[in-house]
Amino acid sequence: MAKNLPKTGLISWLTSVDHKRIGVMYALGSLFFLIVGGIEAILMRTQLIAPNNTFLTGDLYNGLVTMHGTTMIFLVVMPLSAAFFNYLVPLMIGAPDVAFPRLNALSYWIWLFGACLLNTSYLVQQIPAVGWFAYANLTEKQFNPTHSVDYWVLGVQVVGLASLIAAINFFVTIINMRCKGMTLLKMPLFIWTTLVTQVLLILSLPVITVALIMLTFDRSFGTGFFNPGLGGQVVMWQHLFWIFGHPEVYILILPAMGIVSEILATFARKPLFGYTVMVYSSCAIGFLGFAVWAHHMFTTGLGPWATALFSAATMLIAVPTGVKIFNWISTLWGGKIRFTTASMFAISFVAMFTLGGLSGVMHSSPVIDTQHQASYFVVAHFHYVLYGGAVMGLFGGIFYWYPKITGRLMNEPLGKLQFWLYMVGFNVTFFPMHFLGLEGMPRRIYTYASDQNWNFWNFCATMGAYVTAVGGALFFINMFGSLKWGKKASADPWDGRTLEWSIPSPPPEYNFAKLPEVTQLDDWWHKKYTHDGKRLTPPQQPYVDPKSIHLPNQSFWPIVLAAGITTIASGFVAPANGVFVSLIGVALTVSASFGWAYEEP
Amino acid sequence: MSDAAHVHHTSTDIENRKFAMWVLIASECFLFGTLIANYLINKGRSLSGPTPQEVYKIDVTTLSTFDLLMSSVAMVLALHYCKEKELRKFQFWTAMVVVGGLIFLGFQYHEFSTFVNQDGLGLSTNIFASSFYLLTGCHGAHVTVGVLWMSSILVTSLIKGKDWFNSEIVEVAGLYWHFVDVVWIIIFTVVYLFVYV
Amino acid sequence: MQLPAFDEGKYNFFDVSWKAPMDTVSGITEWSRDINSVYSLTTIICTLVFFAVAIPLVITLVKFKQKPGDDSPPKQFHGNPTLEVLWTVIPVVLLIFIAVPTWRVLFKHSHVAEGSLEVEAIGHQWWWEFRYPQNGKIITASELHLPENTPVHFRVWSADVIHAFWIPKFGGKTDANPTSFAEDGSPTRWNEINVVTPLLADKTKIHGEMYQGQCTQLCGSSHALMRFNVVIHSKEEFDRWAKTAYTPPKVETTLAQAGEQVFARCQACHTIAGTPSEQIPGVKIGPNLTNFGNRKYLGAGTRLNTPENLAAWLREPSSIKPGSLMPAGLVNEEEIAQVSSYLRLATAKSY
Repeated sequence: MAKNLPKTGLISWLTSVDHKRIGVMYALGSLFFLIVGGIEAILMRTQLIAPNNTFLTGDLYNGLVTMHGTTMIFLVVMPLSAAFFNYLVPLMIGAPDVAFPRLNALSYWIWLFGACLLNTSYLVQQIPAVGWFAYANLTEKQFNPTHSVDYWVLGVQVVGLASLIAAINFFVTIINMRCKGMTLLKMPLFIWTTLVTQVLLILSLPVITVALIMLTFDRSFGTGFFNPGLGGQVVMWQHLFWIFGHPEVYILILPAMGIVSEILATFARKPLFGYTVMVYSSCAIGFLGFAVWAHHMFTTGLGPWATALFSAATMLIAVPTGVKIFNWISTLWGGKIRFTTASMFAISFVAMFTLGGLSGVMHSSPVIDTQHQASYFVVAHFHYVLYGGAVMGLFGGIFYWYPKITGRLMNEPLGKLQFWLYMVGFNVTFFPMHFLGLEGMPRRIYTYASDQNWNFWNFCATMGAYVTAVGGALFFINMFGSLKWGKKASADPWDGRTLEWSIPSPPPEYNFAKLPEVTQLDDWWHKKYTHDGKRLTPPQQPYVDPKSIHLPNQSFWPIVLAAGITTIASGFVAPANGVFVSLIGVALTVSASFGWAYEEP
Repeated sequence: MSDAAHVHHTSTDIENRKFAMWVLIASECFLFGTLIANYLINKGRSLSGPTPQEVYKIDVTTLSTFDLLMSSVAMVLALHYCKEKELRKFQFWTAMVVVGGLIFLGFQYHEFSTFVNQDGLGLSTNIFASSFYLLTGCHGAHVTVGVLWMSSILVTSLIKGKDWFNSEIVEVAGLYWHFVDVVWIIIFTVVYLFVYV
Repeated sequence: MQLPAFDEGKYNFFDVSWKAPMDTVSGITEWSRDINSVYSLTTIICTLVFFAVAIPLVITLVKFKQKPGDDSPPKQFHGNPTLEVLWTVIPVVLLIFIAVPTWRVLFKHSHVAEGSLEVEAIGHQWWWEFRYPQNGKIITASELHLPENTPVHFRVWSADVIHAFWIPKFGGKTDANPTSFAEDGSPTRWNEINVVTPLLADKTKIHGEMYQGQCTQLCGSSHALMRFNVVIHSKEEFDRWAKTAYTPPKVETTLAQAGEQVFARCQACHTIAGTPSEQIPGVKIGPNLTNFGNRKYLGAGTRLNTPENLAAWLREPSSIKPGSLMPAGLVNEEEIAQVSSYLRLATAKSY
């Protein structure tokens, strides 16, 4: 059925299995949810601008807390990282596509439908209000009788499935699809951090999957896994959640670390300092990431011995992380640094992430953590890591690879203005939260009394959030405006080091006319320069007739299969006839699977 | 039934789908690991009966375990004859895998219905029951997927005959089948046998 | 467990009295001062590390900015093993300096001191109940009374969802987890806090007359309004206070008498010691009101205990605390005056 599908227009996007198009769709989807999550944040900050404010009700605020966290993690940072994986992994390793192009499309559509399912909770006014960590037993039917928590559970479950499929795909792609000569230690660092991220996803997602199934059973079938009244244990949820949830933190930050490594090397015009150590430290972070989950539970009551052990493991993680920071600075040292929006975001990543990392070291001490846990100090900490860190890194990545994707450069002055608005806004928002935390302001409170000395810093934080919002608006103007008015970009506008810069901007559908062969790290750079810095003429891509290159066919099955899976999940939140809805989903899923299997790719 | 990429040379010389199955198995290990850990933690926490000792029937379960093991042997033979391109034997042993899987599912249906109807052990009767059904039910779902997969291989072979000896796909399905089998060995040991320790 | 000596008291650089009633850095107990000393030490180390990163970073950015017109690439170098070893080892050493005091403090405060006063802190949606099991009659809510300079052993658990029990000036928090119950109705599992209460004479460390605490675990609609207060008494005064927690109310006016009649309708959820409400069996879902008249706040530390606020609460509890399990419209305006008189005046006891 898929032989003669159109190459342009809506259908071509819905049926596309091209990793570049899927990457662009991931990016647009996650940037849309960035706006959603940003509005949620602005609403919350507006509520907290003054004590005893009544702009939002408590329930709505708690709902926004939950949706903001869930959105920013599962619908913004993870899929935006996935956008980069999709677009760049095949280009950087010199492959024609990912290992499983249709699975790639499937994971995108599952993600999108799952994201929509989660946000449907707004439309039906049943907003989950239990936090992104959804601690049992507040999530039990007894305390949340509407479908609100079900939306959260199923949304995360479906989105998690998308991540798992994508993770298997990228893992196989990176290990198996590298071009000739690209041994593991000649891969760009971004590919390495991507690889470690996929391992973390593959091994941690099943744990949250089980936890979510258990919660679904509790809510829909009356079991008592997390109900102490029925023999269950609430702490069980915390263990399962954080065995997933802590690797998840590295899933969010590692891709940005890779992006920053590429950007810094390019704009310092020097190789990444200590490449091998950077690879090992990424692996060490990934490995240790599985051994520290209980540091989220220092106040849960684990007893002093478990607490001491987990604090030691947590402190250890600071070592490979610190190594990375010093290597980034050394990458810049001795370079000829060009200050573009991309490099400024990447440099700010190093500074902001250092701050967030250091406050993380403070929490690795469980005695300090008993004071800081669930206070605004922690809010400051993880926003420095995930916003000042991951999101700044991803913004740098957008400015860096935008010309490759669109063939046009983003506007630099506008980009720099956005950068400074972000830097000022971000720090004015989140630095005062350290003080708020030290002054005892708990997290997730929708209002506070006026006599707590929290008024001024809360006001500052809200003002900072507004400044950031202006910066965000500028970004979208820049991104869409540059499509039309941006300067035309050459194939290699930044004098890059990795393979994606060796092909035209935007790349042809088949990526490489002739699959590359590499002999060393930063092979493209060494094709342009001799060891003593003299310019060489890099080899041009040979002309090929596009028709002569076999490309996988477009397919409808991924989107149909994704719809089937989401329909199964929807049965659990359907107001009536849920079983019937789920059965339709099962039928759709099974028939789409067979259609898929018997389709000629 | 194949994706474009498999025609290309791969960096490890392992075919993409086979490699992906190994990766999926790694993930599934964590899935079943979590389920088994959950069962072990919860089996003694029930506030009321029935208890595992009261409901397990080790003779029946031993039989179904033996059946699943034999289906794995059939799987080995099916793959062997697929590679040898012996159509009838390949189809016979593939059918045996399907039959073995179906018999196992029959045993599981029998076990569950006995538990529910005779022992009064429903899904939410106590936390042992919930954990037990979640673990074995999840395994049963995996067997069901395997049966569907092997059936589709059988049907394809019946339709396409000698043109279709896709040993790559059969090998991937075999990996999956053996994994599901190995998981059952662990479940049988940890869930059914440890009761008597 | 024996770890190298570390003089915990010495390093409280941040003991600055921020005028924030819940600040974490001007603790008044040995435990909170120990925590703060580890925090101070860690902050100094982390600040030094921050500058060790920031200064080289800024110098690099200034020094190695590309000169205009200079288009040739810089020297390409790949790394330096000595440096890599250096910035692996130095953090390890610094972390040991954080880890050792951490563990010392952790183990130091994880055992129950002899002669501790036992207090059960029980989280409810959205208020705290306090029981003193050594004298089984004393049960109070939202206002915790403790004698000075006494080791207290808190047993923290929850009656519904997870809450977290935290008095910042006393030290760290611990979760109040829901639990199952033994045959006699006692909880099977709880978390602990061990702390020695401050000296009353140590006025310089005390801000106002009460310490504040708050729930820090998202626990539903009114999580933000789940506050409580702590009052420290001299030991003699505490004994006198303890008696008020189980003396019956003194009903002296006709208004209060009428209020007592009205309160009969409240006793399914609330208890006042020495009244028939005590005889109703089972765990009450509303706070114990035995010495309500003495309490400074109502609604879990959210409003001052004034007749106006009490009337507003009785009219519609959810207007003060959204989601409150207490329904609106239980009493009419006349009854509000009566029950207010009973609750505010008859239960107020001098001690």
